[in-house]
Amino acid sequence: MPSFNVVNYSLRPSKSIQRQLVFEGISKLKASLDFERQVYIGFGSIWFTDFVLAHRLLGIDDMISIEANEVGYHRAVFNAPYATVRVLHGLSNEVLPTLYSDGSICTRPWLVWLDYDYHFDETRKEDIISIIENSPPNSILLVTFNGGEMKYGKAPDRPARLRELFGAAVPDDLATNSCRDERMQQTLADFALDLIQSTASDLARPGGFIPAFRLIYQDNAPMVTVGGILPTKGAVTTAGGIVNNANWKCRPAKPIVAPPLTLRESAVLQSCLPSVERLSRDAVRALGFDLEEDQIETFQTYYRHCPTFVQILA
Amino acid sequence: MSVDGKNRAFAYPTKAFFVRMITRDINLEDCILDLIDNSVDSAWNQEGSCPMGLGDGANLSRYTIDIQLLPDQFVIRDNCGGMSLDNAVEHAFSFGRNATADRDDFSIGVYGIGMKRAVFKLGRKVKVRSTFTQSDGSRLAFVVPIEVDTWLQNDAPPWDFDIADDNPLEENGVEISVSELTPGSASSFNSPAFVQNLRRIIARDYSLHMQRGLKIRLNGNPVVGWAINLLQSDDFIPMRVEYTDELEGDTVGIEIIGGMAAPPPESIDPDEGDDGDRRFGWYVVCNGRIVLAADKSALTGWGTEDWPQWHYQYAGFIGIILFTAANAAALPLTTTKRSVDTSSEIYRRARPRMREVSKRWISYTNQRKQALDEARKRESAAVSVPLASIAQRPAVTLPVLVAKPAQKSANVNYSVPVSRMKKLAQEFGNINMPYRDVGLRAFEYTYQDLVGKD
Repeated sequence: MPSFNVVNYSLRPSKSIQRQLVFEGISKLKASLDFERQVYIGFGSIWFTDFVLAHRLLGIDDMISIEANEVGYHRAVFNAPYATVRVLHGLSNEVLPTLYSDGSICTRPWLVWLDYDYHFDETRKEDIISIIENSPPNSILLVTFNGGEMKYGKAPDRPARLRELFGAAVPDDLATNSCRDERMQQTLADFALDLIQSTASDLARPGGFIPAFRLIYQDNAPMVTVGGILPTKGAVTTAGGIVNNANWKCRPAKPIVAPPLTLRESAVLQSCLPSVERLSRDAVRALGFDLEEDQIETFQTYYRHCPTFVQILA
Repeated sequence: MSVDGKNRAFAYPTKAFFVRMITRDINLEDCILDLIDNSVDSAWNQEGSCPMGLGDGANLSRYTIDIQLLPDQFVIRDNCGGMSLDNAVEHAFSFGRNATADRDDFSIGVYGIGMKRAVFKLGRKVKVRSTFTQSDGSRLAFVVPIEVDTWLQNDAPPWDFDIADDNPLEENGVEISVSELTPGSASSFNSPAFVQNLRRIIARDYSLHMQRGLKIRLNGNPVVGWAINLLQSDDFIPMRVEYTDELEGDTVGIEIIGGMAAPPPESIDPDEGDDGDRRFGWYVVCNGRIVLAADKSALTGWGTEDWPQWHYQYAGFIGIILFTAANAAALPLTTTKRSVDTSSEIYRRARPRMREVSKRWISYTNQRKQALDEARKRESAAVSVPLASIAQRPAVTLPVLVAKPAQKSANVNYSVPVSRMKKLAQEFGNINMPYRDVGLRAFEYTYQDLVGKD
């Protein structure tokens, strides 16, 4: 079943935080790098949440959404939020090759976000490699995929499966323990970045690849987002300087697992922030309710990015 | 018309030839291996430069080679005794070995070009530092800085590099650092796959040195050498023969070992997704360095002279042929030291002995198909033994199996897209299920559905 029939993308708080962090990161890059007439390419579904952010936050006009589902395609065309959004019907591995020779975009920097619901497999890998091989200089590539461990076979077989998927960069002595529980998402993120970096290096892309995004988040299934910049040779130092600065927020060490909060809880907590000191559980209890320690920490870290959902009864 | 006044043709080389041309004939990995070879040769020299056979018992455990591949710099550092000042002045920096160089040291360096070719391939700014103990017992440290672009500006002889005093290294040894990397080096060092592959190559090609205790670190992490062992029991006894051969006045020691390293595969289908036959085949070793590993090609005889092509069925066999010579020029290795020189007389004369053990194994794997249960039982009784402890024996011993009548079976072979195979495997409950098992399950499923019980 297409995911747009399951859930409204915009109602996933952790995903929403992740998306905000990524777009804020790109916004920082945009201040120093030449993203003139950047083109956004993604899977807008029928909600186009990322497309709206790309237009509002980054000022990107030309946007292309790829939609494979027949009904979804017609609904996407109907729901396209701006006149400059093109919806192309087909699977990503069919549509992407047509973009490489599209004269209207093939010399402009791309911001490509392959935001899959699926796990990483041979088909996703082909998409990623073809983007690295063909995207114009100063493009940004982001990939999101399902990091659930069970999607990669039984525990003892996972190292072999990862070797199949991510190739030579996976060490021969990869331990099964690195492919279990939450460590699996960390492992997948590292190898996906290694795959992109190795592909760009082996291709001798003039600026190589600069890893910039590595986020793990969970609303339902644990998801992994990785990506970075495929810069011109001249932009390498500047881009590296930005993403390796301590202020760069797009490689959080911990997974983003947003607490589902009521409007009231959220407002009361927010009134205590910003604060240099960590909000304690006792402090939350003193406010009149209770949360787990890690929920408090996540809220304090990301409260500026946390969405609040309310049901409107009309 | 005469040649008066023009009767000599210039034949001087140019520096650019060495910097830009000879570096094209070698890949980056091989350049780095050349530098590791120099360190290994130094360590071997410190240990007395004896023949590097399996039974010599040399211990290299006090030597470490540390390699750093950084985005903007390459460094290799060893504690293998260092290069002497005389060696630096007279030999190490000249292009090609001169006639006075010592050739009787059982080293792997043959042509006197490895270090220069490697550093020119790596980058533009080079620093070779050495600290060594002089004959009077005092330590001396020197550095040879090379600015390649500056050095290239003038082709007029003499060609030389400055040598300067230096602060001593912590231990006697050599440190080579290269910065202003060439674009090819920089992009390769930035590739996790390149670094991982280099680690694999080092683990394989220096595995015999590492079994003697040599430590190699790459980007701070130790490289773990391949364990090359054979299996042995009453039924399975590896062969091991030693003999010497002569080549233009040089004596070459030859040692051949071969036998079962693992039971042959259960399936003869090679595309099950496992890399099961990766470590099997022939290994050619020259003065301790593996120059050809797990070879299944015509280089080691497969598919030539009444010898069949390698087939997945033959997995499980390992053969090792070691050549040792005081003068490395007598060894059958190519200039890159990553393959065997098949035109070498020494090598050609050794090939029939390699063929015999290979053919015995091929014959065994054919027999075992007709008596699988018996074969499996006997194979499971064999235990792993290190190469050095294998006794001398002129021929491999393998069991003779008597074929048991079996129900006539049909082999099925067909191709489907991997993505569809994986989807079906996933539906059977395990995305990593071997293709063979997916095929059998699919057959059983269809058989039950259409035919029912037998």
